[in-house]
Amino acid sequence: MAFGMVLVLSILGILNWAHGQFYMFGGIAAYYAVTAAGIPFPISIILSALIVGTLGILVEKLIIERINVPIYGPLYVGVATISLIFFFEGAASMLFGLQDKGLSMVFPGVFDFGSFSVSYQRIGVVIFTVTVMVAMYIVLNRTKTGFAIRAVAQEPVAANLYGISVKRISAIVMGIGCALAAMAGSMMAPIYPVNPFTGRIPMIMSLLAIVIGGLGSLTGAIVGGLILGFLNSVIAYSISKFQIPGLSSEVVLFMLVIFILLVRPQGLFGASLK
Amino acid sequence: MMLKYIDWKATIPRIVASVPIACLLVYPVFSSSRGVLSMLILSGIWAIAAMGFAMILRTGQFSLGQAAFMAIGGYTSAILTIKAGWPFFPSFFMAGMVAGIIAMIIGAIILRVGGIYFSIITLAFGEIVRILAQNLEGLTHGARGLIPSSPDPISLGSFQINFDASLVPYYYFMIILVAITALVFWQIERSRLGGTFFSMSANQILAEHQGIHLMKYRVIAFTVANIFTGFAGALYAHFLETITPRSLDLWKSIEVMIMGIVGGVSSMVSGPIIGAVLLNGLSNYLSRLRIYGISQLLFGGAVVLLLVFLPKGTGLVDLWEKFWRWVFKEPEFYEIPSIDE
Repeated sequence: MAFGMVLVLSILGILNWAHGQFYMFGGIAAYYAVTAAGIPFPISIILSALIVGTLGILVEKLIIERINVPIYGPLYVGVATISLIFFFEGAASMLFGLQDKGLSMVFPGVFDFGSFSVSYQRIGVVIFTVTVMVAMYIVLNRTKTGFAIRAVAQEPVAANLYGISVKRISAIVMGIGCALAAMAGSMMAPIYPVNPFTGRIPMIMSLLAIVIGGLGSLTGAIVGGLILGFLNSVIAYSISKFQIPGLSSEVVLFMLVIFILLVRPQGLFGASLK
Repeated sequence: MMLKYIDWKATIPRIVASVPIACLLVYPVFSSSRGVLSMLILSGIWAIAAMGFAMILRTGQFSLGQAAFMAIGGYTSAILTIKAGWPFFPSFFMAGMVAGIIAMIIGAIILRVGGIYFSIITLAFGEIVRILAQNLEGLTHGARGLIPSSPDPISLGSFQINFDASLVPYYYFMIILVAITALVFWQIERSRLGGTFFSMSANQILAEHQGIHLMKYRVIAFTVANIFTGFAGALYAHFLETITPRSLDLWKSIEVMIMGIVGGVSSMVSGPIIGAVLLNGLSNYLSRLRIYGISQLLFGGAVVLLLVFLPKGTGLVDLWEKFWRWVFKEPEFYEIPSIDE
């Protein structure tokens, strides 16, 4: 999830605030693919990734490319994607209704580790995430498109001079980013039910993961996400002993994020934003 | 005999603009529809918050924490009236002051970073405020929220201003508050301070080399803007007679931002007011249609369309000026091409 967001951020220099809504659309697309069309779940993940990826490319082509003018561009792109949050949520609640949509478990059953147990569904999510990460790594480092994407990220003007169409690469990157969000959304659909507002909390959480890992660093996003999940439970456990009123793990987490941004805005893993 | 020269080109737009303002001023005399009045009062409250947002944006900082400062103001006023038993007006005053002081302290720390980092920090700050309001059970009643009462009646001789009986006193109180805010912001915009803010948003590096202490002016703008945002929050809490952690969260901040942008941030006063009244009225009307989600759809769509078709992002205020230039057949201003590319 955070990975798609940071991909767009690092390469286009755009923070896509509406990323959580692409996640939500992914979940909804998978839901309809499974229930209405009767497509098996693994294929519907790919299908929803394709649909939402196309949506992302449309957004990039129709909106972001037009707004992204030199000086104030990044600011207005931020404004536009924030308002897209509302647009997509409104559209989703008008088209698909407000009720929760839950898929049944695809891999039923629970794996018992002795002291704790994990459902097969969650294990499937982890395996799938690792697969996607490896695939992305291969695409970025081994293919021609991947080289082009990294060239655009480093120096758009020079890349343009070498015959890489920056616009096309931007659209591809945006499509991949949104497709990743959709995959995450459809993967989580059997575990957490989907409604038009499910995108909000993942958006904030992946923003935090990106900040911890460093804005604009790809490995940082993955490690930041792991650190975030780990820290949340560690902090929740350790401050429960002190009994300070009003203190919860979220407060500490958000303060940590503010602190990181003030002291080391490039995050824990270098790679500063252009 | 002295002939006075009247600049019609400057006067006619002003007269036309003053007609709706005058209509708003005398509106309660002709009608006492609670729905419309409460809609207008809420628009006024959001207009103040949006003006604060526009002022912070003027210094080049993009704040996503306006609703958090409204929440601070609202909670301060509510706690003072309920727990400490203060009358309404002193606690209302304190709400603005507390919001201002917190803004000054926080601003001195977080304003040193710019751009997207600042947006994320204010977002995190808003979430911290919300979670604190939820967790400090003893002070804020947690998720149930507080129920501040409306102000006590003021008696002027035989005449009594009763806030409980009708919405008209609230309405005029809101008008006065908006007018004071607009006056202060307008004067700041016209003064040397406003010029300094503008230069900071236009080119930060150049401004710094001209000897402008960036931090100092950022903190000034942040503090002044949030004092008034705190006032707006206090009025919000007392008008709705309820304040909960969820009522002023991150998404309200984003709505404030949308109001400011749609109205236009090229002017610190008129743009946000227009945006707030327009969007609030529209959402009020749309919520009666009972199609859930349509107002969000239209708001989001409106902003995107505006940014695509008015690429300088100056909003509806700019259209107003363009309209009058078109009426008087004046040439467009010559624009200095940018040298950055």
